[in-house]
Parts: sequence; structure tokens; C-alpha cells
Amino acid sequence: MRHRLSLVLVALAAFFAVFGVMLRVWVYPRVVAVPDNQYQAVVLEAKDATLIDYSRMAGVPHQHVTIVQTLKGDAAAAEAEKRRSGRDVVVWDGLSYVLGNDGKRLSAIPEVYVFDARSQEPVHCCGESVDGEALSRIGVEYKFPFDTQPRDYQYFDPQTRASAPIHYKGTQQLDGLTVYYFEQTIPWTRVPFPKAMPDNVAITPVQIDALGYQRWYTTVRKFWVDPVTGAPINGEEAHNEQLRFPAASGMAPVTIFSGEVKIRPDYRASALALVKSQRTLVLMLSTYLPWGLPLFGVGLLGLAFVAEGRGRRRAEVLTAESVPLADADEDRRAGDVTAAQGTPAAPL
Amino acid sequence: MRVLIAAVAGAVLAVVLALVAVPLAGQNGPTSAKPLLTSAPARP
Repeated sequence: MRHRLSLVLVALAAFFAVFGVMLRVWVYPRVVAVPDNQYQAVVLEAKDATLIDYSRMAGVPHQHVTIVQTLKGDAAAAEAEKRRSGRDVVVWDGLSYVLGNDGKRLSAIPEVYVFDARSQEPVHCCGESVDGEALSRIGVEYKFPFDTQPRDYQYFDPQTRASAPIHYKGTQQLDGLTVYYFEQTIPWTRVPFPKAMPDNVAITPVQIDALGYQRWYTTVRKFWVDPVTGAPINGEEAHNEQLRFPAASGMAPVTIFSGEVKIRPDYRASALALVKSQRTLVLMLSTYLPWGLPLFGVGLLGLAFVAEGRGRRRAEVLTAESVPLADADEDRRAGDVTAAQGTPAAPL
Repeated sequence: MRVLIAAVAGAVLAVVLALVAVPLAGQNGPTSAKPLLTSAPARP
């Protein structure tokens, strides 16, 4: 009986040890993925910002600007791409909608961002674009890869339509999580005007271009990233834009926008709660179970040795007890019955 | 010999279970980590 128990324990030990390893090397890289059908919105604010008044062609300080960013996973487009290429992709239809003090639109820029659901490598399909302009991204945008490493990444900047390094600047504690801090600086760069101009401005980007006006932009982008999920739990931008005029005009640049853009606290809290719940699931597959199950297997193997050892010792004792009785039997007459003779041998 | 067979049986079962778990989980399964937005491009 003990021998059978030992065999079961050995089988279970092998099961848990191998299953733990398989979870890390086989299941984790295939199962942990960005869902292709998610919808998410976040609200950001720039308090005390400077904002252009086009009627006066001057920057007006102390403005409150609100940015509503939405991301909608286009599951149909992702499935179509999967049928075409066999690859699991995520197609995000994004929109950045910017509102001024009066609640009127200042701009709205749509984006289509396509990437591999697991590695987050950019994928060039499905109408990838920014503000209707087709392009090919390099690097990441919005989110970092699962198992983010403490190193620099290429981060796509939608204003310049180009990627630039986002530098790893250290590990910090934020809201009870260990996070990686990344920072990207985009130097002053000429960028296109958004196609959707402010509600109260009756001029098109084409007309602005014809006048020789230029839009220039610089920003310092900061991310605090949970390395397990690659999701930023906080982000800020020191964002500056200028309207510049032809050199012949002699006009000084005018600030279009200047401010510190931060996530509204309630959205930041909900983002943090979401990351905490998701990172636990990912950690289960990447760390907890791959380490815990083999350790449990080692424990079971130890129990198997103990059970087997006890069984063998018990068998040896019984064997030792039965040998003198057998010798004594030889000296007895036939027909003599001892108490031990009626006892069956202990099963092993 | 029986110990070896028991260990192999346990290991094979683990491999099979892991292989089956992947298609069962699917892309939008409960382990899919949801991303977040924090990029803040202000475009007034």
C-alpha cells in the first residue's frame, strides 16, 4: 500500500514540476495578450495652461484644457488580419479630443495603431495612420510590452509622426508598485496642423499652410510603467506648441499651447486598480505558478521518499520477526500451531 | 521501473494539459492583461 502511495506521489511531483515549467515557457508567451476588443477612455487635464486666441493671434494664460483620449479595439479588423496573416494583432482606433475652457473643441486627432497582441511589435496593416495620414510606426505607443525591461525603447510620437528613444531613468515606488520611469524629449520640431481645427476658427490647415504659417512642437513625455503588464500607471507631458511665421514677416512666434498635461486623479486611480488586478493574473503565469508548482512537486517527492522509507522499514521489521519463528517451527513437531503462524504477511 | 513510469506519466499529463490550456484560454481570455492609456498629446 505504501509503495502504491509513493508511486502516486512521484507521479504528482513530476506533474506539478513539469506543469510549472510549461506554464512559463509555453503557456505564458501564448496566452498573455492584449485583448483585441477593448474600449478605454482616459481624461487628462492641463491646468493653468497658455492657449492661443486666434482672433487676437496671442497666447492667453490661465486656461484649463481637457483632453479626452479614447481607444477602441477594432476586433473585426483584427480578425480579418488574423485570417490573412495568421497573426494575432490588435487594431486600436484612437481619438484625442481636446476641449478648451468653454467646452468647445480645440482639436480632434484620430489614429489607427496596429500591433502584435503579444510582443507589441508594430504591424503595418489595417489603415495604420495618424490624422488620416498613412504611415509605418516603429516601436511602441501608449503601452509598453509585457515584461518590460529596464532599458530604452523606441516610442512613437504622433505629433512628429516619427519614433524616438524613450529613456529608462530608474526604478521607483509608486502607489505601492515597483515601476520603471521612462522619459522622452522631443526637441522643437515642425509638425503638421491638425485637420480638425478649433470650432471657432474658420480657417483650414491648407489655408494656414498657404499663408506660410508653421506649427512647431516640443514635449517632455514621462511614463511610470508597471513592468509586468507594460501598462503605464501614470503619465505626464510638458507640452509646448508655437505658431511661427515666415521670416520675412518679422512676427514673433505665438504660443498655441503650453502646459503640464496630467491624468485626472479619478482616471489615474481606476487605471491603477485595473493594472493591479491584471498584473496579478500575469504574475500567476509568469512567476508564482512556475516557481510554486515545482517547489510543491519537490515537496511531494520528499513525501514519496518518506512513505517509501517507512514502508521498507516496516517490511524489514516484519521480515526480521518472521525469520526466528520460521526457524523455531523447524524444531517443532508437525501439528504444533503458534500464534504467529496464523498471521498473514504484511502487505508492502 | 514503476517509479520511472509514474514520473513519465505525470510529466506527460502536465505537457498535455499545458498544450490544451493555450487554445482554451484564447486571446480575450481572463489572463489578457489590459493596456492603459496615459500618453497625453495636447493638440489645441
